[in-house]
Amino acid sequence: MAAVMQHASAYLERFSSLQAGRDSEPNWLRERRELAMERFLRMGVPTPRDEEYKYTDLRALSDGRFLLSPDEPGGHARPAHLAGQRIAAACGDSLAVAGPAPPGIRVMSLSEALVRGEPRLEDRLASIASIERHALCALNTALFEDGVVIVAEAGADSREPLHLEFGPGRVARLARVLIIAERSSRVTVVETYSGLGEYWRNAVTEIHVSENARVDHVRAQLESPQAFHTGVVQAGQERDSRMSSFSLSFGARVARNDIGTRLDGTGCDCSLDGLYAVRGHQLVDHHTGIDHAMPHCHSHQLYKGVLDGNARGVFNGKIFVRRDAQKTDAVQSNKNLLLSDSAEVNTKPQLEIDANDVRCTHGATIGQLDADAAFYLRSRGIGEAEARKLLTYAFATDALARVGVASLRERFEGLLLDRFAPEAA
Amino acid sequence: MLRISNLHASVDGKRILRGIDLDVEAGTVHAVMGPNGSGKSTLAAVLAGRDGYSVDAGSVTFRGQDLLDMDPEIRAREGLFLAFQYPVEIPGVSMMYFLREAVNSIRRYRGLTELAAGDFIRLARQKIKPLGIDPGMLKRAVNEGFSGGEKKRCEVFQMSVLEPCLGILDETDSGLDIDALKVVSEGVNGLRGPDRAFVVITHYQRLLRYIVPDYVHVLANGRIAQSGDRTLALDLERHGYRWIEERSTALAAAGA
Ligand SMILES: Nc1ncnc2c1ncn2[C@@H]1O[C@H](COP(=O)(O)OP(=O)(O)OP(=O)(O)O)[C@@H](O)[C@H]1O
Ligand SMILES: [Mg+2]
Repeated sequence: MAAVMQHASAYLERFSSLQAGRDSEPNWLRERRELAMERFLRMGVPTPRDEEYKYTDLRALSDGRFLLSPDEPGGHARPAHLAGQRIAAACGDSLAVAGPAPPGIRVMSLSEALVRGEPRLEDRLASIASIERHALCALNTALFEDGVVIVAEAGADSREPLHLEFGPGRVARLARVLIIAERSSRVTVVETYSGLGEYWRNAVTEIHVSENARVDHVRAQLESPQAFHTGVVQAGQERDSRMSSFSLSFGARVARNDIGTRLDGTGCDCSLDGLYAVRGHQLVDHHTGIDHAMPHCHSHQLYKGVLDGNARGVFNGKIFVRRDAQKTDAVQSNKNLLLSDSAEVNTKPQLEIDANDVRCTHGATIGQLDADAAFYLRSRGIGEAEARKLLTYAFATDALARVGVASLRERFEGLLLDRFAPEAA
Repeated sequence: MLRISNLHASVDGKRILRGIDLDVEAGTVHAVMGPNGSGKSTLAAVLAGRDGYSVDAGSVTFRGQDLLDMDPEIRAREGLFLAFQYPVEIPGVSMMYFLREAVNSIRRYRGLTELAAGDFIRLARQKIKPLGIDPGMLKRAVNEGFSGGEKKRCEVFQMSVLEPCLGILDETDSGLDIDALKVVSEGVNGLRGPDRAFVVITHYQRLLRYIVPDYVHVLANGRIAQSGDRTLALDLERHGYRWIEERSTALAAAGA
């Protein structure tokens, strides 16, 4: 294995010891892991020299200590529970799946799925998210110890969210999720990430949405203020399928999310939405990618950000429209509210359009609280802090409206209000 | 109730109010008229505590306290209300939530218990009815997409819910048709009482047929150039502002 990166030995050591204990793993996975490790060692942890990480400095992670350490200083707080049925939780060095799953839905740990020889695992696991493009996805693939597999059987319809909670600990730090929605099924999955103290979580979720199926995916990043969070969510969609992704990003010192979908059939619909709210010295970076490979697909993106203190936001939205993808309709919008003079945002749409009969629109804004609106509220007796909170909430409300599950949306509203409550301001 | 003495104020270094004196006693209604740009809205904004105005001289006391020293929300909680000439649209905040928050902020300040949602809705419905506003408006975002007339009615509705001691109405009649004008005037008249006072800024004597003022003042070049009773408004309607402006310029020249 040609290892050129610095600190390679720490990763290699972990990898070798893990591989040695993976006798029961199928060959196809062992091989994928080998390949992934090789990729990672070739690329290393991204640095700001990499155009894709221009504003997001992950150099503190390069030696891997925040990821590989057996335990983290913060200890094992119970992961945050938001709403819906807690179906799986990872904490410490184990992952537990709690039944029973709704009719037509199978939920199991990855290790169990491998032992059982779950059909289609070979087709989907470590094959949707790209290890070529994402060094950190490659790292997860090489090192993950366990994860969660959710299969919605053909025709199954489950709207109550299935909640996956990733707390602290070795296993959860390399969270791995695979969601397979079979033909004409529907499933809603919520992932929560939370912890205490300083650690690095590097999570990967892969989603396969079969013909005419629908997946609603919500990701709540509520990591500790000292944590690093890197995550990849990648979906592949067959014809007439629908998928929605909502990324809530409130926690972590540095958070980087790569969220994408590939529209591989005609008549697909996808929405990638999100809300980030950061303050202090937090940095939150979202890179989205929508690959319109086939005609007659719709994509919708609305990302909103609220930034206070010295916080920094990054949004990069890539939309590819391939030559065959005529009649593509793609809308992208990123709006930011700066609550302080020292907060900053870098936002950039990136459109590559090779088809000629398409509609693609994009827009980005960065603004401050409307002083006239604040005065209007105050002139009615509403205090300054309260007015600010109200206007911040008002700013975020259309993004939050994209969360389809009402109970979850209300929790998020509460979290947002707490975050900019007078005490915290 | 309100005592303004020798008030001078400027915006961006531009002097706009140049020595206003005005006494408003409880139980009275004062109309303030005057040509465009004479400083009427500036006076209202300074009284309500809007940012961006600097008070260069003078004082304002409100119910015995230094008004200029208070934050805008404190002025409101002390009982001052400004009906805006141009009410602000606030997308994403419902009228209902906004107004309840306002009522409860004021109640907390005064040591009263907060109104529960149900009680507030009853209060709001009771106050909205006489103003001819569709109660569905309460669910809409504050002023968003309201017509000009709806916005003005809504200002009066807010005033009737908040029940201030001093209401300052900045051109609340502008852009209202005659029916709306009557409704709005009745709303204001319903609030009149021995413990309340109003400063009604208007260009039109028409309003003063419905809200009959005790005093009429004419603002010109940042000063009160003329005060009188309601017949002054009729004179202005007939002869315009020219004669007063000329007088005030002459006065300013003599004073300088
Ligand atoms: N922010 C500002 N910067 C500079 N000049 C201003 C500003 N705000 C108001 N002015 C000026 O102050 C003067 C008084 O304005 P004001 O709005 O108080 O007039 P008004 O009497 O209310 O007029 P109208 O009858 O048209 O409503 C005008 O000449 C106006 O252009
Ligand atoms: Mg005006």
